[in-house]
Amino acid sequence: MMKTCLKLLGKLALAALAFFVVTFTVYFFNLDMKATALLAPWLEKWYDHLEHNQYL
Amino acid sequence: MKDLKHLIFFEDLLQNADNALIRQAQSEGRVCVAYVCENTPEPLLNLPGAFSARLRAPRTGSMEMATYYMTSFLCEYSRALLERAIEGGYNFADAIITPDGCSMMNRCVENMELLKTMGKDKEHFFYEYMEIPMKADDNGLALYVLQCRNHILKPLHEHYGIDVSDEAIRAAVKEHNRICELIRAIGEFRKGPQPRITGYEFAVLTLCSYVCPKDLILDKLEETLEELKTREPDEKNAYRARVLLVGSEIDDTDFIKLVEDSGAYVCADRFCYGSLPGRDPIELNDEEDALTQICRIYMNRGQCPRYMNTEKMNARRAYVDKLAKEYEADGIIYEQMKFCDPWAYEKMLGSHILRDDFGYPVLAVDRPYSIASSGQMRTRVQAFVESVEIKKIQGGARHE
Amino acid sequence: MNKIRGDIHYGNLYKDGAVVRKRREWRGLTDTLYDYSRWLGIMAILAKFIIKPRNIKAMLRYRWMANYLAVPMMVDRHTQGLRGEYLRICHTEQDLIIDDVAKLLDNLFRGDRRIGNDTEFSKKVVLVDENEMTAVMMGFPTLKGLSRETPSTYVSVLLNQHAAVHYIDVAQQFGLAGDVCPMPEAEAGVSIDDDAPILGACAVQCNTTCDGSLLSNGVISRRLENVDGIPVFQLAAPLRHREDDVQEYAAQEIRNAIEFIEKHTGEKWDWAHYFECARRVNYATRCRLEWLEMNKTPYPQVFGSNLALYTETNYMAICGKIPAFEKADRKISQLAQRAYEKKKMAAREYRHRAIIWGVQSHFYMDFLVWLLNCWGIVPLTDMLSMVSTRELVTEDTPENREQAYYDMAWLTENMIMRNRTHGGYKVLLDELWEFTQEFNADMVILWEHMSCKALDGMHGMFEERARQLGIHLVWVSHDLFDPRIISRQGVRDQINNYMRTVMQEEPVDPTLEILHDEESW
Repeated sequence: MMKTCLKLLGKLALAALAFFVVTFTVYFFNLDMKATALLAPWLEKWYDHLEHNQYL
Repeated sequence: MKDLKHLIFFEDLLQNADNALIRQAQSEGRVCVAYVCENTPEPLLNLPGAFSARLRAPRTGSMEMATYYMTSFLCEYSRALLERAIEGGYNFADAIITPDGCSMMNRCVENMELLKTMGKDKEHFFYEYMEIPMKADDNGLALYVLQCRNHILKPLHEHYGIDVSDEAIRAAVKEHNRICELIRAIGEFRKGPQPRITGYEFAVLTLCSYVCPKDLILDKLEETLEELKTREPDEKNAYRARVLLVGSEIDDTDFIKLVEDSGAYVCADRFCYGSLPGRDPIELNDEEDALTQICRIYMNRGQCPRYMNTEKMNARRAYVDKLAKEYEADGIIYEQMKFCDPWAYEKMLGSHILRDDFGYPVLAVDRPYSIASSGQMRTRVQAFVESVEIKKIQGGARHE
Repeated sequence: MNKIRGDIHYGNLYKDGAVVRKRREWRGLTDTLYDYSRWLGIMAILAKFIIKPRNIKAMLRYRWMANYLAVPMMVDRHTQGLRGEYLRICHTEQDLIIDDVAKLLDNLFRGDRRIGNDTEFSKKVVLVDENEMTAVMMGFPTLKGLSRETPSTYVSVLLNQHAAVHYIDVAQQFGLAGDVCPMPEAEAGVSIDDDAPILGACAVQCNTTCDGSLLSNGVISRRLENVDGIPVFQLAAPLRHREDDVQEYAAQEIRNAIEFIEKHTGEKWDWAHYFECARRVNYATRCRLEWLEMNKTPYPQVFGSNLALYTETNYMAICGKIPAFEKADRKISQLAQRAYEKKKMAAREYRHRAIIWGVQSHFYMDFLVWLLNCWGIVPLTDMLSMVSTRELVTEDTPENREQAYYDMAWLTENMIMRNRTHGGYKVLLDELWEFTQEFNADMVILWEHMSCKALDGMHGMFEERARQLGIHLVWVSHDLFDPRIISRQGVRDQINNYMRTVMQEEPVDPTLEILHDEESW
């Protein structure tokens, strides 16, 4: 029982560490913003194709 | 057509803000109350012993000083007035009253005050700023009445001993109405296929009624009305289209001339300084005090875009439609003075709505304060006239 | 020179011509980990928002939604160079605002006829202006006062400097002159472009802030009433707001607005809730005053964009309605007090104490951060933060209920910016010099929002007074929402030129002097 708990804790710690390493890398190297910057032009094109009922 | 007998007399009065009739009235001991916005109820400035002069800056050239104080982004009307004030051109005024009609006019008068441009050697001179309603409703009316009482009647009485009683106000309205009836009667000659007065001539007469002591032009206006009754219109109509001119402040009669020289007869004038609705008589009853009635009439008939409730906004366009029908306009010119925020929006909305919902040909233009001879404007009006003509030939000037 | 942990040359984080920065700032271990944890929190807020299918649908429907991709970067821009308490103050504010805007968006799309189409919810929504104090919603706990313009234009431009450009162009294509203020112009453009969510039992518009705003409302209400069938009340707030003889008018407008909302929603005004909100407004006012008092000393604590952006949100949009802001006020005050006691400084060097006046360039709200980091100019307070400090009545008595209408009217009249740009030259011109003395400032940075006629109209008088008083007056021109007229570098250059030529100074951080961020969000 104790062993299983320790194993689980170990796995959790490993997962937390992996989560930290991955997310901190994304955070520090601004990868989230770099990725969304790639998405922005695609969205622009999408909006340009939408039909709008322009009305005054 | 034969020239109007008094046209040169009236034109002369427009050459300077400080015209001969203002000097004459002041020499008789009357108080000159200057103002700058159509939302200031005129009869209250024309109580016995006082007269109103709406400020303008004829023959404006450089506006460098005013541009320094207010930058080039403020409308040229406000800058031209400040420039003239700095030059000392309004030293004749004994007081100035302005509503916060728009930010630019407010700043213009505030600069006049801060720079001490007016009131030199005038012990009783005062500046007054007043709040005016932005909606036509009971609350707006209560505000209007209170503001007129506090910022027009009270200072006039306290500084100059002007009688501000109900009787005095009614007397002022009576005199105001005489001018209005004359201007409107003269304006009637713009109707019909062969008008007996040009839009330019009419603008000159109307403008004089805003910038001169009214009683001193009454006789000449009466004579002009009589003259028009028998005036022979030209056999061949020189104009190719009749247009209703709508928009912001115009005190430059050359603009009307330019439009007419381009082939469009200005058959109706729905702009600040125009006669519609500025020269509608004020009809008072005996049941209610005159001040409240005047304020209600000004509030209800006001066409200023600063009125922002939906009913008023819709009514503005309906009024233009009504005038276009009444004066048989073939098209509408929406104009705005450059950098005028209220009319920038109203021009956009009005020009679309009158074209799309009411079916009129509409030209939307912006212009400087003093247009003189603008080739660009002439070309635009000429092109508009041609398009109206083509529509007329095709039989579909308006689809009602 | 004050010691700053981690990076000190912030210009090195920019990449010429890029949309985003090379990397995030190293702030020393503790502060970097703190900032990282807040970043995770923001990502969680965004994930919670985007996980809903209707919000994805909205993302694909509304052009302005794309700007919300840049939320984390907005926080980075405002936290540049901040450490310790200052960083925590900034996050306390920004994270709360982000959460609040996310909820606003979620609610808008829930009721939006095109997206969530929750008709029952929509019946409980009152649309309010972006440029409007929301005091009239303080007594309606069961209603949602939602602003469509806040997320579509106001916040969007904070996130992405180019956000309003499309809508400005749409309005001008329809014939609107190019010299009007681009903010109401963009709001009109959103309406014309059919790019605003459609929902609500009714709408309350207001003439604040200016002529342009008033007139642009006419464009929006036309569509609301004619096409969408949503009744609109136009709330008129007097311009000469310091005058006694306009207050009754203003109070009656509030009564009429409340009556209108009651009529169209079937809800009744709740005095107990109103007074609860009023109590929170008072608390926020006391906190703001406390911060301003600190800013008068050599150790200012809540200043720059930490003061400006938060005050705008808390004072105008929140108006005591959301308890979380009271908690944030308390936390910010504690952090500020702690830093003040330790005589802490937010940057390496404080060279000049400045009052920021005029209307800030919205597409460059983090300019105040740059001012501090690049030139050591401390933005002690700004015009938009100098709003009402009057205490509202909070006890529920018959007399106070009557007074409450005047209090709400007072708040409405004293909406940010318009309480200075309107109401006569005293509030704009004279009081600036009083503040300069009070705050012991040697410099005034005067934002000249070129399309703001109320501000431009006092240009010459500002110069003359500054000369008379011997205060350094630095003009910074911009066009509020439109970086095509004057770019961010164009804004910075006006300071750079003054500091180099008139003040004969070298920058504290030379890497920030010239940044090629034209393409950046």
